[in-house]
Amino acid sequence: MLHKKFSRLLVLVMALAMVAALVPTTTLALAQESKGLIVIITPAHDNPFFKAEADSAQAAAEALGYETLVLIHDDDPALQDQHFDLAIAQGAKAIIVDNAGADASIAAVQKAKDAGIPTFLIDREINATGIAAAQIISNNYQGAVLGAEEFVRLMGEEGKYVELTGKESDTNAHIRSQGYHDVLDQYPDLVMVAQQTANWSQTEAFEVMETIIQAHPDIKGVISGNDTMAMGAMAALQAAGMTDVIVVGFDGSQDVLDAIKEGKIHATVLQPVAQFGPLAVEMAHKYITTGELPAEEKISIDCILITPENVNDYFNFAPVK
Amino acid sequence: MADAKLQSSETVSIARTFRGRVTLQGLLVQLRAFIALILLLTFFTIVSEPFTKESNQIILAKQVAINAILGIGMTFVILTGGIDLSVGSIVGLTGMIAGGLINEGLVLEPLNKVVYFNVWMVGLISILVGMFVGLINGILITRFNVAPFIATLGTLYMARGFSLLRNNGATFPNLIGKPELHNTGFPKLGAGTFLGLPYSIWIMIGLGLLAIFITKKTPFGRQVYAIGGNRRAAELSGVRVKTITLLTYVISGFCAAVVGLIVTSQLVASHPSTGETWELNAIAAVVLGGTSLAGGRGTILGTIVGAFVIGVLRNGMILEGLSSFWQMVITGFVIILAVIIDQVQQQLQERKR
Repeated sequence: MLHKKFSRLLVLVMALAMVAALVPTTTLALAQESKGLIVIITPAHDNPFFKAEADSAQAAAEALGYETLVLIHDDDPALQDQHFDLAIAQGAKAIIVDNAGADASIAAVQKAKDAGIPTFLIDREINATGIAAAQIISNNYQGAVLGAEEFVRLMGEEGKYVELTGKESDTNAHIRSQGYHDVLDQYPDLVMVAQQTANWSQTEAFEVMETIIQAHPDIKGVISGNDTMAMGAMAALQAAGMTDVIVVGFDGSQDVLDAIKEGKIHATVLQPVAQFGPLAVEMAHKYITTGELPAEEKISIDCILITPENVNDYFNFAPVK
Repeated sequence: MADAKLQSSETVSIARTFRGRVTLQGLLVQLRAFIALILLLTFFTIVSEPFTKESNQIILAKQVAINAILGIGMTFVILTGGIDLSVGSIVGLTGMIAGGLINEGLVLEPLNKVVYFNVWMVGLISILVGMFVGLINGILITRFNVAPFIATLGTLYMARGFSLLRNNGATFPNLIGKPELHNTGFPKLGAGTFLGLPYSIWIMIGLGLLAIFITKKTPFGRQVYAIGGNRRAAELSGVRVKTITLLTYVISGFCAAVVGLIVTSQLVASHPSTGETWELNAIAAVVLGGTSLAGGRGTILGTIVGAFVIGVLRNGMILEGLSSFWQMVITGFVIILAVIIDQVQQQLQERKR
């Protein structure tokens, strides 16, 4: 009796497992006539910035007839390294990557190069040249200067402010902070009362901001190294009833654009991320078909300041047509 | 996957212990991780052409090796009824120690001297650091009676903190060493191959065989099972419970340190946050492999098969372009399924008695 019951259960369980494994694969496109595989690796898609980045690259590659594999590395260089192995094992034609660490990614890019696969870096650089086929980045310094100038204007050139910085290991965190301070430090009446990292994270920014508010309830502005941290800081400020504090972000993500429309955040700097992917795909396509690489390895694209005046001109990192 | 033969002969003998005869159900349950693996392999072989490539199989095994080695150490701990949450942090810490020794050497401030070690010494020191963290875990648990979950949670934070402190949150890049300092060759561990297979796979096989031997054939191994099975009874029958328990954490620290070296070498850089949440992957592999979290029951081979189940599942889902969010859902589902089957097995066993 028990045996019968049990075998039934076992069959059921196995059937369930098979169904669970089967269901999502039905969404797969059948491999048709393909020009080869392009592997796209980015940080986690819970940040809309990276989702937009990956989606735009994928769309561009598929439009040109490539198969794509979109992977995320969760800012973990070891996981990224595994993804590179996978791309190499699958004989990818090109790798497009928003990397997991300026130093920790060098070996992976080198490995791909040794295997004859060009890597096109987008958004973040690595601390080496001559290994990647191209490094397409937004002009973070120019963007930071834009953001800081607007921040100064909003602050009326005076008052206490807080800076939230990004992940220590990320070059962009330093470049942006540098850009901010090259402008802000020219105004002696602007006083930075706290500078803290929130590791690009919304929840961390919320907690950090909550704590800073306890120590400095009289702050007038917050300038943040990216938009997710700006959102976290804004939430903490709103919760504390400090709705008139000026918040400036960096990235141009849609939720911040929405917050600008509502007047909760005052400005951000839009990185033309929707251009990165397509540009990288275009370069990869050129390399695959003609063997030609871009003349310059480092290509920087200028950022755009977003204020309540032009906020409606952009949606999901791209200009509204 | 070469373990197939070993696995079946071994599990047949386990299934027989159900009152000395082989029952189909008993066999199916005992072999569940293995069956799941076969099912997954068959499934992905059918639906995914890139999955079957030999190059893919090799990188798959290479990725599994990381989790399997952590799982081997974790199995010892879990067999005693404990848990080790600190292994992911030990991976990060030992990587940073190795990276620092290669790039910066050991700074002896009072002597105003910097000592550089060759890569073998670097490896040895890093492993000793990993074992030392394991030793602290063991001492906290056996001498101060701190619950394993809490003790290793504490060392999880501490080891991660030290790992970040070592270079102020920054990475040690480009760990190739300098010929004039005689410390070149570190990347070989991660990039080198023997008979076409990366070293990490051989290390997994070697440590796996050693651990199977220890658990099956040595008094130490039997005592580990005895402690997990019934701690009091083990104590009364003269097992040095504290010492044996302490040693299992040292073993776990050792395995984590080995993984730290492998990963650091593969990246040719040591990144302070490497290994975050890997302890959970290792626990998942152990549980999938049929080891009971209550202790006393389970096998090393099961853990390795469990690690392969997770690895195959992930590799296959990645190749099929499944979103990473779905991957998490399905991985979680499979782990829960494994534990449900484990419960069914225990009920089955109890009614038979």
